[in-house]
Amino acid sequence: MIRKMGTRKKRRMAVLLACGLGLGSATVLTLSAFRDTLVFFVAPSDMASKAPGPGRVFRLGGLVESGSLRRGMEDSRPDARFRITDGAATVEVTYVGILPDLFREGQGVVTLGTLERDGVFHAREVLAKHDETYMPKDVADALRKSGRWNPASGPPPQAALWNTLGAAKP
Amino acid sequence: MTHLPYIAGAYGLTLVLAVGFGLSAAIRLSRARKRLAAIDPRAGR
Amino acid sequence: MEASSTLAPTPATTLVPPTAGGRSLHRFANPGRFLRIAARAQPWLTGVALAASLVGLGWGLFWAPADWQQGDAVRIMFVHVPAAWLASFGYLALAACSVASLIWRHPLADLAAAEIGPVGAGFTALCLVTGSLWGKPMWGAWWVWDARLTSVLVLFFLYLGHIALVRAFDDPVRGYRAGAILALVGAVNVPIIKFSVDWWNTLHQPASITLTGAPTMAAAMLWPLLMVAIGFQFAFLALVVARLRAAVIERRMRGLLMARAAGA
Repeated sequence: MIRKMGTRKKRRMAVLLACGLGLGSATVLTLSAFRDTLVFFVAPSDMASKAPGPGRVFRLGGLVESGSLRRGMEDSRPDARFRITDGAATVEVTYVGILPDLFREGQGVVTLGTLERDGVFHAREVLAKHDETYMPKDVADALRKSGRWNPASGPPPQAALWNTLGAAKP
Repeated sequence: MTHLPYIAGAYGLTLVLAVGFGLSAAIRLSRARKRLAAIDPRAGR
Repeated sequence: MEASSTLAPTPATTLVPPTAGGRSLHRFANPGRFLRIAARAQPWLTGVALAASLVGLGWGLFWAPADWQQGDAVRIMFVHVPAAWLASFGYLALAACSVASLIWRHPLADLAAAEIGPVGAGFTALCLVTGSLWGKPMWGAWWVWDARLTSVLVLFFLYLGHIALVRAFDDPVRGYRAGAILALVGAVNVPIIKFSVDWWNTLHQPASITLTGAPTMAAAMLWPLLMVAIGFQFAFLALVVARLRAAVIERRMRGLLMARAAGA
């Protein structure tokens, strides 16, 4: 009886392993097949190949290019023009409405809207994408003052640096 | 403190869930032990 | 699998007479021994859970510095991130119990899986709601359908499905088998959650704390986060152990009553 149970357990283990392998490879195949459609937003350099035609709504994401932000007023509503870049390509964006708190130059954003024939992306929604770095205000100020980081130009330097910065600050 | 309503909501929900799960588990355990002891006094170790 | 499940010992016969000893994996299958060990561990699990969670949450709420761009809203992270870790950990524990149930017919694994489900669903709900409360002020949206958020929502539905399935059958053993299969099929979702932020571009940011690299988080925020994570981990264990003790006692009680009804 005991020996019989042993072979039964082995058989169950083999069945389970086979099911797991089958399910796992099916999932990997499905996910890689849908890889492009699972994308939440399109980067500027993918616009030529992946963006739908003029007038069709899609999401455009990237960094707000340093020095590109122009704020104005349009019919007493705030109006913003900026460029979204991923380093390789840049797209001009206009947006009428209130920008989220985290919006700034150098920040990642995801915008929803349409690309018009003039090549300008008309956003109807702007979401700020915050990065994975978390630091107190005094550390950010110290990094900026020491010239080691300009928030408008990109992500901050290595975290190992900031934690020693408070003490080393003159 | 900025964004206070959102922070209060997040910590408040944590408290509610902790109290809810904790109390329900404690009550269920003590009730089960009492009922078992009533059926089988030997089992009330 | 159907034929062998009828040969599996029924609850009443395995659980009522305590069998001595047993081989390595079945050492904890003896419910009497489990109850003794669990009763001794319970105060420690509960104590560490309460102490670490309270210290960590208080630290995060009052002493940890505000983020330079998120302000105080970053304090939601001290709840959201540990809850997210526990949501995934809970599902892995559920899957491990399901393997032990399907292969070894481990009698405690079935009960453990049924008790892990609601606790894991609770942590997943906490993760989803706090994430929404964090997303509104920071991103500008309560919810977006990106790969990370959607896969965690799927995890929540898997938990709910498991909770319903294990309780849906008149014969509990059938419910445990069905639940175990659902839990294992759903386990493919866990790596998808983990790597969703790396495989696809999402609105959700990638992980700040990884096994391979230095954390991209100031130490003054990292310590309270780890403290809450320890507290939540122990809270998960304490809750599951307490619920499992209750479940074992309830099962023993049903066995006793059935044996008495049959014998009388």
